[in-house]
Amino acid sequence: MNSSIFELMKKRTVLLDGGMGTELMKRGFPQGACPELWNVENPEVVKKIHQSYYAAGSDVVLTNSFGGNKIKLSAHGLGKRCFELNEAAARIANEVKPAGRFLAGSMGPTGKFLKPQGEFTGQEFEDAYAEQAKGLAAGKVDFLLIETQYDLREALCALRGARTACDLPVFVTMTFNRTPRGFFTLMGNSVSQCLKELETNRVPVLGSNCTLNSEEMTDLVKIMRELTPLPIIAQANAGKPSLSTGGEVTYSQGLEDYVRFIPQMIKNGASLVGGCCGTNPDYIRRMAEIIKAI
Amino acid sequence: MSQEELFSKMKRAIIEGDKEEAAALAKEAIDEQMDLNQVIEKGYIPGIQKVGELWEKGEYFLPELITSAECMKAAMEVLQPGLEKAHIAVKSLGKVVIGTVEGDIHDIGKNLVSSILSANGFAVIDLGADVKLEKFIDTAEQEKADLICLSALLTTTMLGQKKLIEMLKERNLYGRFKVMVGGAPVNQKWAAGIGADGYAENALTAVEAAKHLLKK
Repeated sequence: MNSSIFELMKKRTVLLDGGMGTELMKRGFPQGACPELWNVENPEVVKKIHQSYYAAGSDVVLTNSFGGNKIKLSAHGLGKRCFELNEAAARIANEVKPAGRFLAGSMGPTGKFLKPQGEFTGQEFEDAYAEQAKGLAAGKVDFLLIETQYDLREALCALRGARTACDLPVFVTMTFNRTPRGFFTLMGNSVSQCLKELETNRVPVLGSNCTLNSEEMTDLVKIMRELTPLPIIAQANAGKPSLSTGGEVTYSQGLEDYVRFIPQMIKNGASLVGGCCGTNPDYIRRMAEIIKAI
Repeated sequence: MSQEELFSKMKRAIIEGDKEEAAALAKEAIDEQMDLNQVIEKGYIPGIQKVGELWEKGEYFLPELITSAECMKAAMEVLQPGLEKAHIAVKSLGKVVIGTVEGDIHDIGKNLVSSILSANGFAVIDLGADVKLEKFIDTAEQEKADLICLSALLTTTMLGQKKLIEMLKERNLYGRFKVMVGGAPVNQKWAAGIGADGYAENALTAVEAAKHLLKK
């Protein structure tokens, strides 16, 4: 099972899924609550979202565990349930996974900072991610995806933690802001710095997700391709979110504009594509058509 | 050293993230009995403004922002007693409860607003960051505050500003306190739409807005 995702990558462009948070909110998820809790309290809703992505054509769906590391869960008072919630995230997704498709364990950032900016040590981060990875592995994900990382140091802690917990392949995607000087993470890591460090640490598949819309992500993929021979993951946002006074969140990049850039994104070197915040199964459906046509 | 030179050194200390220098220069300003409002406005604030520009340009990132904010804090800690002394004779322009909305840890801008309001004659109760909405209201009631200032830097936490106003209405307190909102994703349209009394883009305009709102 472990090698098949690599085999699929060799054959054609792999399609990941789209936003989970957006889909949860559509189905009544209250802003500010803990999404991972729905894996045990509202599993049918979560499963329906996974199903809709598989049906739209996703080869890989990500577990509803983005905020599931122990430190992030502790902010909701749920740190002690880290293993349980992650195992549930993986288990319920597997219940709807069609044959021949894949399930990735999503591991997003802690939301806290390492010393000296924050209070945490590398070991504490590592342990927080390890606990999460144990749960995801127990629930039988096919591989892990450490994503939306904005601090290279934290990404490396997550990597170590994941590898302590299991033998599954671990992929890593960073999130970059576009500045007049180029693409950098929030903490100031450059693209080349990130790719170099991740490669040195034997990450087999890497890339970027979030923050950027599909046009910006297409530019970033070109830069990444020049810097690494490894397979590249690219999952762009549907633009930036804005909040209406009624409390509705809308994203600035519509479906047509978003998918318009996908052929070039693949041409520029993305081997695995999907969508991040603001995207939904419609985006994935269109991307599946595009990949088929290539 | 001339005033101009001192201001220039203060600006540089903030930009370079030199905490000791920022504090030392603040002490010098006190020893020289300088106008501390001027010191903040012409010395330190230009420093933090430049840091903001460097952030926009992609030359400064979060670590630099945090270091510069700490320098600003160090300077303000030295200046605060001097600022308070200068205002003992002056009647307080009003009581302000300020904080960053729950779920949000961003506080650099909020800290600046807090310090500048305090420096300009307001009695400020700074609740910090990630403050529960109830705490803003309970504190304002307890302390008989005039103004509640809410900071939010995320689209997700901005909603807290709207929720707080709804809570004031539920508790029949809407209108008892003036509410001013701020933060990068916030704007005048949002403020008006949620029923806030005021909006300010930065610490300096916040003082003017607060003075205007609380004019007796």
